[in-house]
Amino acid sequence: MSLTLRRNDYSLTDEQGQLVDMLRDIFTEQSPIAVVRAAEPLGFDQKLWDTVKENGLVTISVPESAGGDGGGLVELVLAGIEIGRTAAPVPLLDQVVALRAFAALKAAGADLAGLDMDAALAGDLIVSIAPISTWELGSQLIPSGAVAKAVLAFKDDSIILMSRKTLAPQAQNEGCAPVAWWSPTDSDVATTTVLEGAQALATWELVQREWRIATASSLVGLLAISSEMAREYALDRKAFGVTIAKFQAISHQLADIHMDVVTARNMTLKAAWLTENEPEYRPELAAMAMAHATRAALRSTTKAAHVYGGMGITLEADISLFFRKVTSWSLVGGGQRRDLEEIARAIDTRAAELQLQSSNR
Amino acid sequence: MDFSQVDFTPEQLALESEIREIIEANWTPNYAHIAVDHDRMPVKVRMEFAKRGLLHPDLPKDQGGAGLGELELEMIAGIADEYWMPTNVSNSMLIPTLEKHGSAWLKEHVLPGIRRGEITTCLGYSEPDNGSDIAAATTKAVQDGDTWVINGQKMWTTWGNESDYVFLLARTGAVEEKHRTLTMFLVPMDTPGVEATPVWILGGGRTNVTFYTDVTVSDQYRIGPVNEGWNVMSEPLATEHGAGVETQGVAPVNGTMGQTFSRVFEKFVDASIKWAASRKTADGKSRLEDPITRMAIAEAMLDLEMCWNAEGELGKPMSAEALSRNADRMADIAAPEGLLDFGVDGSIYAGNIASERQHAPGTSVYGGTTEIYRNNLARRLGLPRPY
Repeated sequence: MSLTLRRNDYSLTDEQGQLVDMLRDIFTEQSPIAVVRAAEPLGFDQKLWDTVKENGLVTISVPESAGGDGGGLVELVLAGIEIGRTAAPVPLLDQVVALRAFAALKAAGADLAGLDMDAALAGDLIVSIAPISTWELGSQLIPSGAVAKAVLAFKDDSIILMSRKTLAPQAQNEGCAPVAWWSPTDSDVATTTVLEGAQALATWELVQREWRIATASSLVGLLAISSEMAREYALDRKAFGVTIAKFQAISHQLADIHMDVVTARNMTLKAAWLTENEPEYRPELAAMAMAHATRAALRSTTKAAHVYGGMGITLEADISLFFRKVTSWSLVGGGQRRDLEEIARAIDTRAAELQLQSSNR
Repeated sequence: MDFSQVDFTPEQLALESEIREIIEANWTPNYAHIAVDHDRMPVKVRMEFAKRGLLHPDLPKDQGGAGLGELELEMIAGIADEYWMPTNVSNSMLIPTLEKHGSAWLKEHVLPGIRRGEITTCLGYSEPDNGSDIAAATTKAVQDGDTWVINGQKMWTTWGNESDYVFLLARTGAVEEKHRTLTMFLVPMDTPGVEATPVWILGGGRTNVTFYTDVTVSDQYRIGPVNEGWNVMSEPLATEHGAGVETQGVAPVNGTMGQTFSRVFEKFVDASIKWAASRKTADGKSRLEDPITRMAIAEAMLDLEMCWNAEGELGKPMSAEALSRNADRMADIAAPEGLLDFGVDGSIYAGNIASERQHAPGTSVYGGTTEIYRNNLARRLGLPRPY
């Protein structure tokens, strides 16, 4: 046996720090709560999307060889966190994941003739993926599916591209996410096979992982802002003559929420870095980041709303808006159950490492 | 950001071989004993480590260390873990305190022995009537010329039965003054009037209650100024809690106890997989294929990854609670074998599951309860002191 050690360096480079500052400026300025509310129920704001395009964010993590800025998954996570912090009603994360998938497909020799790549890179054509298509057959809910006209999916051992000329109608949901039902057999949907065989499955697995990481990052952002809002409210609100932050029943909940924020953020960054740099190493990390971000966002935005007492359950309170967003954003990929099934594959890997065989006891 | 594997230098590879040789020659792993976090480094290993400066490897060579960096410390921890060998020495956090606050006499006569690993210490903070509220200590030290007379009782004096000195928190004024009338001492455990009696805890570990009856020590054993004990004590405590730890990007981020518990948790996940692989369901399939079992183990794996990502002071409460939660569930999933001790007919690896369920609750208590950690965290979040 020999020892192996890995580094545990979560620090951002100066450039990454500057990127965060820039993104925070853009989204806090251009996506205040009023814009988010005005964009409901569809969950899409064309003006904000134009701003995103003008700032060159559509290609933020797309390889240079595919017409992008050459940023990586870590940069995408940093963008996702800022989008989550403002619940920005733009399909940027799905767009970038799809563009990265197109780049990978192109590199694998796939046929993407049916796709207007320039329009997609410019953000004029909104594209997305079907994150649960290896899991559920037929019609399925597509993230950003109500604003996208092209969607990548996996069907019968192949990666397919579904296209529509008209937009699919939004499936109404509490978080007002622009999700819609898409089916490859729908008469409005044109379907072409992009890549087949073992290569298709391997490519799709990476696409799924990247989608999980990107989505997890948006949940980290929703969680972080909810945590900060609940903290401020607890410092401000008085009951029984004191600020409610003095009660351990409140402050310990805030501590728990904070633990969820920090762990969800770190797990997502780590999964992003390793998926980018060493995709063979611990393939379960992306599903872990997503599963933890999901459970953390679900439970901690519930707690954050609870800190507000009755106000927390009113629709006019901003905290309830973030609570609603979490529901839609975290569950459209299939929820924790699906992530845990993915994580469970690591049990088999570990059992093989431990060289275990079933006994007949 | 960097999570890549470290390429060891020839010197580091030599260190790895050296550590393995020492451990293999002086330690026999006990795979029935899953949680070694409460145990002390085996004496024979300690003495071999001490000879080579490996007990306090980060100290400079002229101070009894080996002048090694964070990476080498992680190597030592990783190898010890592979052999299920406990690494507690308890002295590491006392060395900087003695350097800063110790009397000239202590620095000359005790500190070198601590550095060399010949002298061991234990902690005397908690008392029967106060645990988390350390500043309510009532064990009294009364000055009498050049000596102090100590009377009182301490709880949870782990290793008190096998240590040379106790780092003792004593009251040197009115108890109402709380943390303003506390003073620290390093009391030799063989002083007449000191007595340690065992307290057995869940999972089979031993700690002690220690009695101090007219214990008389020279003023040379005082550490730091009279009534400044709170500050003297707080420094090593903060280190234990994982606060302000500066890493060089190699060590896990989850603090001393967070790491220790996470390593136990890792063994527990392996034990769960081993258990599942050793069992079949009624239809003849491996338990590893049973969806309910898979979900439970997958969630344990998820929690484990979460624990490694729990930064600083978050490491301890999150890993302690994750351990408890998963130990409860796996014991249930592995029922009825989940209740059997290691070595009992039918237990196989379930012995680890049963014993971890006994061990886990302690992790949320010793070294500071998870409630205290939440109080500290709340303070760091800028929240006011509790009502």
